[in-house]
Amino acid sequence: MSSFSATKRNTRARFFDRTATALFWGIGILILLVIFWLLYTIMHKGLPNITPQFLVKLPEEIDAGGGIGPMLFNSFYVLFLSLIFSVPIGIGAGIYMAEYAPANKFTEILRICVEALSSVPSIVFGMLGLAIFAEYFGIGLTILGGSISLAFLNLPMLTRVTEEAIHAVPADLRNASYALGTTKFQCIRTVVLPVALNAIVTGVCLVAGRAFGESAVIILTAGLSTSGEMWDFSLFAPGETLAVHLWYVQSEAIVEDARQIADKAAAVLVFVVLFINMVFRIPLWFNNRKLKR
Amino acid sequence: MKLFRRFSILTLATMFVLTSAVAGSASAASSLKGKITINGSTALLPLTLQAAKEFQKLNPKVSFAASGKGSVTGPQAVSKGIADIGACDWDASTDVPGFKAFDGQVANKVAVIPFATVVNNNVKVDSLTTEQLKGIYSGKITNWKDVGGDDADIVVITRAFGSGTRVNYQAKALGGGDIVKKSKNYKEVASSGDMKTAVSTTPNAIGYIDLVYVNSDLKALKFNGVAATTDNVINGKYKIWSYGYYMTKGQPTGATKAFIEYVQSSKFQTTTVKKMKFIPLSAMK
Amino acid sequence: MSTPVHELTKQQSILVNSTTTSKFNRMARVRLTNRLFKGYFLFSILALCFVLALVIIFIGKTGFLTFNTLSFSEFFLSMNWAPEEDHFGAGLFIINTMILTGLTLLISVPISIAIAVFNAEIAPNWFKSFIRPVLDLLVGIPSIVYGYLGMTVLIPFIRDLTGESLGDGMLAAALVLSLMILPTISRISDDAITAVPKKYREAAYALGSTRLQVIFKIVIPAASRGIVTAIILGMTRAIGETMAVVMVIGNTAQLATTLFTPSSVLTSNIVMQISNVEFDSTWNYALHMMAFLLLAISVLLILIIRFLRAKGVKEA
Repeated sequence: MSSFSATKRNTRARFFDRTATALFWGIGILILLVIFWLLYTIMHKGLPNITPQFLVKLPEEIDAGGGIGPMLFNSFYVLFLSLIFSVPIGIGAGIYMAEYAPANKFTEILRICVEALSSVPSIVFGMLGLAIFAEYFGIGLTILGGSISLAFLNLPMLTRVTEEAIHAVPADLRNASYALGTTKFQCIRTVVLPVALNAIVTGVCLVAGRAFGESAVIILTAGLSTSGEMWDFSLFAPGETLAVHLWYVQSEAIVEDARQIADKAAAVLVFVVLFINMVFRIPLWFNNRKLKR
Repeated sequence: MKLFRRFSILTLATMFVLTSAVAGSASAASSLKGKITINGSTALLPLTLQAAKEFQKLNPKVSFAASGKGSVTGPQAVSKGIADIGACDWDASTDVPGFKAFDGQVANKVAVIPFATVVNNNVKVDSLTTEQLKGIYSGKITNWKDVGGDDADIVVITRAFGSGTRVNYQAKALGGGDIVKKSKNYKEVASSGDMKTAVSTTPNAIGYIDLVYVNSDLKALKFNGVAATTDNVINGKYKIWSYGYYMTKGQPTGATKAFIEYVQSSKFQTTTVKKMKFIPLSAMK
Repeated sequence: MSTPVHELTKQQSILVNSTTTSKFNRMARVRLTNRLFKGYFLFSILALCFVLALVIIFIGKTGFLTFNTLSFSEFFLSMNWAPEEDHFGAGLFIINTMILTGLTLLISVPISIAIAVFNAEIAPNWFKSFIRPVLDLLVGIPSIVYGYLGMTVLIPFIRDLTGESLGDGMLAAALVLSLMILPTISRISDDAITAVPKKYREAAYALGSTRLQVIFKIVIPAASRGIVTAIILGMTRAIGETMAVVMVIGNTAQLATTLFTPSSVLTSNIVMQISNVEFDSTWNYALHMMAFLLLAISVLLILIIRFLRAKGVKEA
């Protein structure tokens, strides 16, 4: 810097640069504060009162002290199933869009389809699920119907994040791999996907988090009740999830401690989302370290 | 791709285990078995869930799937054949304002639901007459001072059109009068819980709700000078109440019949129904 | 699987060591999997389109029944929505949806992109690895929790600030939505910005640019593709969001003439009324038509943004 004399323009540019940096820091910290305030508001009433029994007990309709056992289990179960249905297709579609799709009108239409699907309100997927599973197949309100409807909701988001993640892989890597004589699929499998994995996992985490908190779809397709026992793996049992239970407790429940249960359920929900993020991320951090070395 | 293969194998494996588990549990013998699907009014849902829980203890082979979205979904789901019981806040086998009768359905009374006019705790008014309520909800009275309160705008909070609570409240408290649709201080909420939150956090708000939900967060008003209590409903002084119904396609049969009989039994009515602050059927003359 | 270099060397060694015959078999297998998976990926994207087709058929089939009893002009242009009296004018919901989406993007986009730039370019590493998971957490908070907080914290605050007696309306809904879509926009833009090759920045720095100049002249234009994707995703989520909006917008069928007029948008009106209407009524058809319209509007907005971007690229 000292080797050339600063012109007026340079000084001004530097001044703007510093102010902008300060501004960016300001916004960053402000948002962080907002988020922490939000988390605090959600957590402080619920989290300290959570007991292990609350997490495994059955819910009550009259007496205080009901738990969220079956709902918590259903939440994981439905999330797991919906990811099984949606992740292979979502990632496959993302790979197609990023690697195979030729630059033509048809691809543009496909892309608009994906974006259009991502704007379909969740309640519409709920109505669709109800029409397919309850009316057409006649299996009623089930975990299976709920998780497939939820998978519909996940699909476009998964596709977009996969596509974006794969676009971000530098072309150099692909060229190097092709130069070694790999086929397109080998290149994707051994070069592109491993490099994009980090971003894809982030994407799946985002999707999983959103699906975990989704209620409108589940109310319509998996119902507002559970089979009344813990550890019911049946695909055809009704599957009230934690987010749905939170809605129910907040909207209609008449037990005296409904407010407390809602607070605790909300705290558990947010905590689980945090947990999902952590569990998926930690192996990635280690991976990154390894790659850097 | 390894990941995909792993996923598909996992899916197949889980599917297999699960379906065999289902088949296994369904083949066991029992005196009364079947699956009862209940849909409809959310206001009756706590009662339904509790009843299902108790009934299941006596008949372990009967399973339940319950959901709720709105009163009219109950009889509709029944006529479409996707539910065995449709919970509804009015007798859906007859015409009510806004909804036609559902042909071929039988209304089974299950409980008496009292409703209350509620206001925010900052409102000084204690009692309103039918005429005053009509004025407030039709938008003719917009200030609390006109009905004996402070000089403040009235914030009207109401349920969406078609809500069972609204149908009953409009018929019994407003004498069929209109509810205003466009105003600066007018809000619609989606559920009883939202109604409670909205009225208790909005100063100068007025709304209506099932008596069950009333607690110290908000204030229940007297209707034409009569307090909203279960006793006043039973002795006939307080008029804003209705029956809750289970709609069925024709006369109920099998497990559905047994379940409805259980809900109507004096044992269930005098213990659970009372505990939930609904009024037992037998108390009404 | 996550160490490409390693895998590559392994593969090379296999290639070198294998005999000619097994190499031939192997090549055939490799070609087959190559073709198979291409087929699978195409199938995936088509499956997605199939889901969209299902949605369109399902919604459209019921929706277009509206026009058996109603004229196009009444449905689209009338501002009078009073189903009890047979007035089905969805015009006001369309306008309100536009206003709400615009307002939300106006609040959310600058902040989200600032966060993304901050994360990718300015923040030190420890801060980054901290703020990113925290942002992801926001996505997982259920919309009803946002709605509840909006109703119990934000609206009383707005009421105190403005002296309104209700407080529900566009501003409250836009603020809640902004917070909800903030992580979507900022995380995806963040990834796009991080993916801009380092050499671009180095070249700019070498020419004597300040960091601010690099950000605005090099990084953001280079990442614009990903940023636009992020905005579209955020926007579509905002248009489709229901549960939170319903709790803070007031749900009254009137035009949002001020920021604090209780009003209603397409989604909130659908979710409030869909459970309370009869299946075979014009009302139900009209609600389905509104869901169809919602889809049409978001496709239209997506097309507009794409068009603008294509134009921008040409000019740049």
